Amino acid sequence: MSLTETEIKESIIDTYTKVASNGRLVAERFYSPEELQGLPTSAVELALGVGNPVRHAGLRPGEVALDLGSGAGIDTLQAARKVGPSGKAIGLDMTPEMIRRARANAQAMGLANVEILEGSMEAMPIPDASVDAIISNGVINLTMRKSQVFREIHRVLKPGGRFCVADMLINGELPDEVLNHPTAWTG
Amino acid sequence: MGFEEIVAVEWKSFGLGDLTRYPLFTKEFLAFLKKIMPPHRHEELVFSIVVTARKPREAAAA
Repeated sequence: MSLTETEIKESIIDTYTKVASNGRLVAERFYSPEELQGLPTSAVELALGVGNPVRHAGLRPGEVALDLGSGAGIDTLQAARKVGPSGKAIGLDMTPEMIRRARANAQAMGLANVEILEGSMEAMPIPDASVDAIISNGVINLTMRKSQVFREIHRVLKPGGRFCVADMLINGELPDEVLNHPTAWTG
Repeated sequence: MGFEEIVAVEWKSFGLGDLTRYPLFTKEFLAFLKKIMPPHRHEELVFSIVVTARKPREAAAA
């Protein structure tokens, strides 16, 4: 039996509320020591992405960057450093515990150009054509409505704006037992 | 609606060993995957990709 969208969302929020640190195992795979320097331990040890989108996003001072599924903030905080005080880095997440952590991490770094919003990437609480660059790291695979996410990306990007998404792509087929396992949708 | 300049800038295999880095997966789930997936897929369950793209400067309405 297939999972419903509501069941998957509830499972994702539950998983990311309870997730515990696994040390630096993920962060050290995708980020250089220089990129991790100065980031709060909580942001580094709750890195749960599958790549390093900030490295490829070409962020420039003064730009507005949006991080979809910002989690504890590892990519949002790096984006904030890239766009500088004249720019802004917005994190968007639907898990209150992750939002709390990301805000605390931005405060710990003394970053005034970070805003963490609660909301879903299928209906972003972001004005039309207001963002220069969107990043996302291992998050779009979590939604059943991927086309809607890309419609929203298109809506909030300024003309000429770009996105850089790190994510998973299935290699061939996966058995139904895997595709319908709740963990396969939350991880 | 559309995007342009779509480029896959990274494309890497992602196997069972990579999943063990993540606290999102229990030992039971990893054991389940190992059992249900054929051995030749264990090192390449999925791909991790990084894709960049741009909204056209003269974008049509979505």
